[in-house]
Amino acid sequence: MLQQVLREFEHAREPLNLRDLAHKLGVERSALEGMIDYWIRKGRLKDDSAQTVCSSCGSGSACGSEPQGCPFVGKMPRTISLVTPDEAPVSR
Amino acid sequence: MSTTHMSVPTSPSSIRYDHALEAEITRLSTAITQVSELRSMYRPRWLAIQLLEGDEQLLAEVQSLPAAEAVLRTLDASSAHLRELFGEDVDVLLTDQRYSFVNSLARDVLTHPAERRRTLSEKIDRVVTNRVLSIPIFLALMWIVFKVTTDVVSPFVDWIDGVITGPFTNWVVALVGVVGLSGTWFESLLVDGVIAGVGGVLVFVPVLMSLYLALAILEDSGYMARAAFVMDRLMHTLGLHGKSFLPMIVGFGCTVPAIYATRTLDNEKDRILTGLLVPFMSCSARLPVYILLAAIFFPEHAGLVIFGLYLLGIVTAVLLGFLLKHTLFKSQTHVPFIMELPPYRVPTLKAIWKQMWERTASFVQKAWTVIMVASVVLWFLMAIPLRGSGTFANTELDNSAFAMVSRSIAPVFAPLGFGNWEATGSLVTGFVAKEVIISTTAQIYAMDAAAVETEAATFAGELAAIATSFVDATVETLKAIPLIIGINLFPEEAEAEPSSLMIAMRDNFAASSGGHGALAALAFMVFVLLYTPCMVATAAARHEFGNKWMWVSIVGQLVLAWVAALVVFQGGLLLGLG
Repeated sequence: MLQQVLREFEHAREPLNLRDLAHKLGVERSALEGMIDYWIRKGRLKDDSAQTVCSSCGSGSACGSEPQGCPFVGKMPRTISLVTPDEAPVSR
Repeated sequence: MSTTHMSVPTSPSSIRYDHALEAEITRLSTAITQVSELRSMYRPRWLAIQLLEGDEQLLAEVQSLPAAEAVLRTLDASSAHLRELFGEDVDVLLTDQRYSFVNSLARDVLTHPAERRRTLSEKIDRVVTNRVLSIPIFLALMWIVFKVTTDVVSPFVDWIDGVITGPFTNWVVALVGVVGLSGTWFESLLVDGVIAGVGGVLVFVPVLMSLYLALAILEDSGYMARAAFVMDRLMHTLGLHGKSFLPMIVGFGCTVPAIYATRTLDNEKDRILTGLLVPFMSCSARLPVYILLAAIFFPEHAGLVIFGLYLLGIVTAVLLGFLLKHTLFKSQTHVPFIMELPPYRVPTLKAIWKQMWERTASFVQKAWTVIMVASVVLWFLMAIPLRGSGTFANTELDNSAFAMVSRSIAPVFAPLGFGNWEATGSLVTGFVAKEVIISTTAQIYAMDAAAVETEAATFAGELAAIATSFVDATVETLKAIPLIIGINLFPEEAEAEPSSLMIAMRDNFAASSGGHGALAALAFMVFVLLYTPCMVATAAARHEFGNKWMWVSIVGQLVLAWVAALVVFQGGLLLGLG
């Protein structure tokens, strides 16, 4: 089951919808979420919505300088992606 | 990798793992049984599974017991054997098999209806995320948004304009007179600089509020996540990184957070590429420019023109991204992902108001800070004479420092149809922020306009007029709502007289384009859409991608904007348009 989830990520040709993936695998959505969380803990998948989107807005300053955040950053849908071995570190 | 298999036991209390796993669990359990301290505290099978799964606390406990040396040796051997056999960590194998067990068990004991009942969200999604219908639905919703921002709220734009240029300016002039500064340069600075500049931008607050209202409804209802999903699918099909469209959606509001939102992309090439594309998504600051020009040159089709500009921004970003991804930013990274689509819900008034208020407040705050400073600086540049016999604050605008500097750059824009110093000057100041294009334009024509004598009115009379005109604007707005879907319930009314600013701009564009003002205005809007969004976005690009990419972004956008505007103007002339 767990391996099948990873395989679906590896073989996906386009973005998937969490609900559709649960249907495809024939599992409850909550069970799929549990499996995804497991792979996130193992470092094989990552939850991109956990990444910080800089809160600066209009000031050009660094992240976190405006505690209330930028009003233009709406609720981003949660996305989960495969951790690839060739992921290049982001240089600043 | 080998495939494991596990059978569902008759008793749900005991899970039987794959044969190889069971053999190792038994082996380790036997070793544990030999250690009395462990045997007395834990069930050997349970402890064996925990140790194979790598429970650090229990492992430390076992390691602290001298008698458990054999257990540790067996654990190492079992783990190594299983890893070799399955090519995977033992804890993954065990968890995998437990999920399989639970799934099989659930399948055996749960009875589902023959045909699964779809939720309302699923039913809506069958249409909204449908491969054929999704893009037309996305475009239709965008169309409605721009109809609202152009047609529906325009009475409120006129109302604020009337209040600022009428009663408010009169009150300021009266106050200046009270302190004995009437007719001085200070009065001109306040009226022609600050009020014309900041007021010229604040006039568009209803437009921005309606845009933010529409975006808040789309976000809060759950549609925006679908839009991102649909567009991601399209981007992925074109070979671009699917997640690129998420920052782009943020870019409809403001380019600065959109540039920071590229951090959700892991690959550096994809991040930089998306950072280069995000500025082409038309931010809300550009909307007032489109509204003003579309109202002057395309009054009947303002919504369509603005919709077309937003669409052009998306198409430019996608096509340029496709081109760059297959040339300069070629990479083999294929990062599939899944997206959680939240269920649809009726947006709450509180959430919508909060978003709309915060975004509008941010716009107004910018008007009182960046735009006010820019307006004051611009007023001084317009007040300083560089030629002619004028003196400070008493010179022909044509002879001012601002006009002279702008005129030296203007020939660059001559092939685009707007090679006059007024348009050039507003594009130059537009580097600071796109709203400054509006404040500059308002200031140029305010300084240039002859003072118009107005009827003296009492303070109470002006307050009453403000209230009456507000009621009129509300009625006009309500009457305009059915027009969104093309229904006109009310008789046609006579078109409002164009303002002096509108007439001056129309004449100016017509003069600079050899009588093809509408075409030149369209080219101007395309230039505004595609050139550098603002100073802060440039700083954000430098912060995120470094100096090199910041310059690539600035120069690239300028070149692209110039070429696109040239194609619009010269292409239009060749086709006999405008």
